[in-house]
Amino acid sequence: MERPGARGAADRRHQDRSRPAPRGALRRRLRPTPPLRPHRPPHHRRGGLHAPPLPGPPGPRQLEDSGVLNPSLKSRGNSWGLHMPLVCPDGAVVAYAWKRQLAGQAGASAVDRTRLALKAFTDQKRRFFPHLEDDLLNHHGESGIAKRLCSSQVLPMSKELVEGKTLADILKNLEHEVPNIRILTYQRRDWSKRASLLSSSVDENHVDPSKEQNLHNWKKLRSASVDQIAVIELLMPSIFRAVVSLHLAGSVNPDAVAFFSPNEGGDYIHSRGISVHHVFRLVTEHADKALQYYLSVDPNNSLPLLLCWICSYQTLFAKVCSKCGRLLMMDKTLALLLPPVHRPYFLTSSVKGQSSDLTKAYHIGCSSEEI
Amino acid sequence: MHCAIVLESLHSPSLSLSLSLSLSLSLSLFMTVKWLMHWQPNPGATLNSQILAEACACAEGLGGAKDGRWRTAMTFYRPMPRDSSAPPADVPRDFLGLALHDRPDTYFFILRAHRLVLHADASIQAIMEKLQSYKARVVFNFEGFQYKLGDFRLRVGKCVPSMAETLRGIMMEVEYLPLSSIEKSRQILEEFFDIWQEALAKKSLPGHFIHIESNFADYGLQDHYTSQHTAVQYATCMAQLMAAVRS
Repeated sequence: MERPGARGAADRRHQDRSRPAPRGALRRRLRPTPPLRPHRPPHHRRGGLHAPPLPGPPGPRQLEDSGVLNPSLKSRGNSWGLHMPLVCPDGAVVAYAWKRQLAGQAGASAVDRTRLALKAFTDQKRRFFPHLEDDLLNHHGESGIAKRLCSSQVLPMSKELVEGKTLADILKNLEHEVPNIRILTYQRRDWSKRASLLSSSVDENHVDPSKEQNLHNWKKLRSASVDQIAVIELLMPSIFRAVVSLHLAGSVNPDAVAFFSPNEGGDYIHSRGISVHHVFRLVTEHADKALQYYLSVDPNNSLPLLLCWICSYQTLFAKVCSKCGRLLMMDKTLALLLPPVHRPYFLTSSVKGQSSDLTKAYHIGCSSEEI
Repeated sequence: MHCAIVLESLHSPSLSLSLSLSLSLSLSLFMTVKWLMHWQPNPGATLNSQILAEACACAEGLGGAKDGRWRTAMTFYRPMPRDSSAPPADVPRDFLGLALHDRPDTYFFILRAHRLVLHADASIQAIMEKLQSYKARVVFNFEGFQYKLGDFRLRVGKCVPSMAETLRGIMMEVEYLPLSSIEKSRQILEEFFDIWQEALAKKSLPGHFIHIESNFADYGLQDHYTSQHTAVQYATCMAQLMAAVRS
């Protein structure tokens, strides 16, 4: 299929070799595009027969010449899952990875986009302006609690939670502490295959064990493959399936989490997806807050803290609310019958170090004062 | 993707029925947990459709949105002797066939006394007609409205014979959509049932709903809920309704 935009950019690049663009600026195309060759009739151009020539995106060559696309930026490379130079299928070349990421997530909610933008800005701020201190208070929104945390000392890390800082250590500890959980890991592109397979499986226990275990048993992965792990699936059989994605494959930085029913399957099952069931939707919303909390308060241990907190949901359909003592209750605001979907995530200090109180559970309506 | 199909073959030698089972790759036995409850009228009280209307109103009061109608058909088969003599005594007489509302492509067979349940493609009914070894004696329709209450689905219905208008019973299905393990969903469904009973008690109706636990293990069924569990529950429910009407 014709890609007039790409063609246009290529043409311009070709011309610019004889005429270098001025440094420090992206020169917009103000003059009309060059005359078309005979075998490319005008009506194939996007925008119609007589559309005015568009200024067009800058080519990679111009970006280099102008100093925007410098070697250090190029080497950053794949941090958002996009390769530099970022030439998109429609021919546009994007200098700023986060912008295309946001635009590409057409289905993402405003919350997701805001979160991505915030993360991008925070990352860049930390990188380029390390002398400015991180402002943690703004991440909370609850000033009373934030004040308490601000003044608390950083306590020695809980041994059980943070024995080793590597991904493999964290997963090993988790398996040890929560024997019921099934942990599976994936490279980023393998996850979508898994998600679509889920819809046709009858019973998660019947998934071909030999295939699954070898590909996704993180214990058997060689160290090189562990570096490529980008998605962690926590399956609590018959109760929930949680998907956690890592920012930078192989790292210990979680960047999104979502809960689903173990019955669910399909392309929408991923760390930024939304379950069809109300209960899991609400747990996911709560998990978003927990994730942001752990990332802002204890970023080095956010993954083990998050995973441990996720595992506390194994009692989602069994543990009664710590306030009203019932399992199922009609939530007045949502007009839904729900079990206690809130588990507190705030870190409290104890002799063992910082940990969340994982023994309590609350209905949404019961939790306003308790959490 | 292949599906696990639970087969219990009818191995009674006197049956000349041979069932052909077609494996359909698109058929999934995967289901969310469902409880069936039937209406137990108070001693001396009769059934009437007013109870049904009140139950529907109750569902709406709990925030249920009416979602459509449903109908499940249960057929009682009787053996047809090959010759004019009476059929042999050991031929099963409680042979039930079931067409579930949410499984239009499938037909279920149950032999309650033998604790057997199996399913086949819906075209098996045509084969039964040709074989003429068992004929339909009477068909009961379970039908009514269905409601969506958040993660729950509620179906309230009456049981009427297909050839008559007499109300034989009132029953309901409650489904909890996020789960398909019977054990894990037990507490949630029990609490739902309590909430439902509370709401219904305010209407002072002459009776109440009861949930009778079917013994799934007897039928060789697992904890993971399937349509065969539903079929067994319907068979149990029917037996309860017949007992209630008799007494």
